[in-house]
Amino acid sequence: MPLVTERRAGTGVPVEVQRDIEQFLFDEADLLDGWEFREWLDLLAPDIRYWAPTRENRLYRERRKEMAKPGESAYFDEGHAELVQRVDRLYTHMAWAEEPPSRSRHLITNIRVGATERADEFDVESSFYVYRTRGERDVDHVVGKRYDLVRRAATRYGFQVARRMIVFDMATLLVKNLSLFY
Amino acid sequence: MTVDVSQYIDADRGLIRGEIFHSREIYERELEQVFARSWLFLAHDSMIPRPGDFIQNYMGEDPVVVARQRDGSVKAFLNQCRHRGMRICRADRGNARNFMCSFHGWTYDIGGNLIHVPHEEETYDPEVFDKKDWGPAQVPRIAVYKGFIFGNWDPEAPSFEEYLGDMAWYVDAYIDRYEGGLEAIALHKWVIPSNWKFNAEQPASDMYHAEVSHASAVQVLKRPGADNGAQRYATGRGHQFSSPYGHGAGWFDTTESSSRNPVIAAWENETQPEVAKRLGEVRAAAVRGHANIFPTFMLLNNGSLRVTHPRGPAEMEVWAWTFVPVAAPPEVKEQYRVEVLRTFSPGGMFEQDDAENWLEEQRILRGHMARKNPLLYAMQLGRARRDADGFPGTTVPHCYADEGARGMYRHYLDLMSGAPWPELVERKRRRERAVPR
Repeated sequence: MPLVTERRAGTGVPVEVQRDIEQFLFDEADLLDGWEFREWLDLLAPDIRYWAPTRENRLYRERRKEMAKPGESAYFDEGHAELVQRVDRLYTHMAWAEEPPSRSRHLITNIRVGATERADEFDVESSFYVYRTRGERDVDHVVGKRYDLVRRAATRYGFQVARRMIVFDMATLLVKNLSLFY
Repeated sequence: MTVDVSQYIDADRGLIRGEIFHSREIYERELEQVFARSWLFLAHDSMIPRPGDFIQNYMGEDPVVVARQRDGSVKAFLNQCRHRGMRICRADRGNARNFMCSFHGWTYDIGGNLIHVPHEEETYDPEVFDKKDWGPAQVPRIAVYKGFIFGNWDPEAPSFEEYLGDMAWYVDAYIDRYEGGLEAIALHKWVIPSNWKFNAEQPASDMYHAEVSHASAVQVLKRPGADNGAQRYATGRGHQFSSPYGHGAGWFDTTESSSRNPVIAAWENETQPEVAKRLGEVRAAAVRGHANIFPTFMLLNNGSLRVTHPRGPAEMEVWAWTFVPVAAPPEVKEQYRVEVLRTFSPGGMFEQDDAENWLEEQRILRGHMARKNPLLYAMQLGRARRDADGFPGTTVPHCYADEGARGMYRHYLDLMSGAPWPELVERKRRRERAVPR
């Protein structure tokens, strides 16, 4: 996992860029909580890589293996077409894990924006807390962090996510499924 | 007062009351009568290839360390320090020469031998304490079946070969298709709030649910130019196998690969003749679908093999590995990995929906009336045949069936009666002899 001390120095962005990207992430959260998944797909670049590695408990001297590497165990490892498929499934209204739909709340926080070599791309980190209830009594909480590459785009939201790595703060997953997007 | 579960289960008529999924008392008895004397999955050779390699696994609720020894053998021991019961090894897996308990520093080698006790000379009188008597409990029976390592706490249990019996023929269709066997390349672990038996009877016996529970996935996961499974589901043409030792398997009567992934399907079709040389035409073309080695080792035809750990009557923990043929090209292995990830991992488009069914089943069984009415396991009742159509053992000629579940619960009753294994083996033999051919 990228360390704070590894973050490149001097990549601060103007206040407006920080604010605009924050608003973009909040727009994304609202779309996901509002079941506006087709809209959400427009926030993802056509070359999106959407990846969530698994984590495990390792001996201290093997701590670099705590998180799976690309090509190893993952909860998501999707391109745009695969995410479209997942959204299509939800809209069959027979995806019983989301029919009736969960109520979710994506709390997005600790947003850090850094410039890259390209003027139109930014390294964005954000923490999330997704609270969800289903039916009468079902409650779960999924907490973690996203490491994104966000690119300016000529869309309504002004940006697209070109790359996302999602780190869930769990080894054994303590929720019954991952039927939402994070 | 020992609970008698036979009042809840009529295996012959396929009527089962939900008390067995709800009761804490029955669960505690299961830990003793099922998990402490059944063959349970420990590891695969590919997970612990080198001396010192270990994984932590569970046998029921008992954590075990499974470690490759220097002589190439595998040992498994209870992950519990004999001193005060602290967990000896707290990593999920890795490579080590020894393990130090972080409570008082008692240190064990990878065979589970106690090799060092801090301040031993000042503290323990050699008359009463010898390190070699205080290693953790060793799993006394280890069996390796085509790379799959199983363990059993009961010295009186039948051999793994006898325990599998005819099920071996069906299991080989999953794990013995290619020279070089399989290797595990991914792992997912997650928790589902429902009884472990839901994820035992389903892979043993329930293809029937797929058409409706997984309708959304069947609908969107289309392979260009090929059927997406809807036709197979609509006809249900297939078979189901039921074992006297509680194992079950079911499949559609396919003639070629049923993978929805074009790369996997092309490779499986291309290599089907070589599989046929190894296993015969029928197992090359069909027989894979869903299967369960009792109690909790599940096999699917997409490379997903998993063990389910009981966590109380109302919770299970699933550990699902993705297995690929060692001989497959890297791009094919990668497709197996992502295909399982997208369909049968916790975010998988099939997997997500199973948890909904099980959760509601479990919650409703808190009700008193809900536990009075028997649940129905009566499909294909009266249609079982022995050694028919080239299929060994008991099968029914349709894959929408409950024969696997009836066999599973009949075996479950045998174990829960508490009769020792030699008596159970004899009981099963008598039962088999009584069946008209």
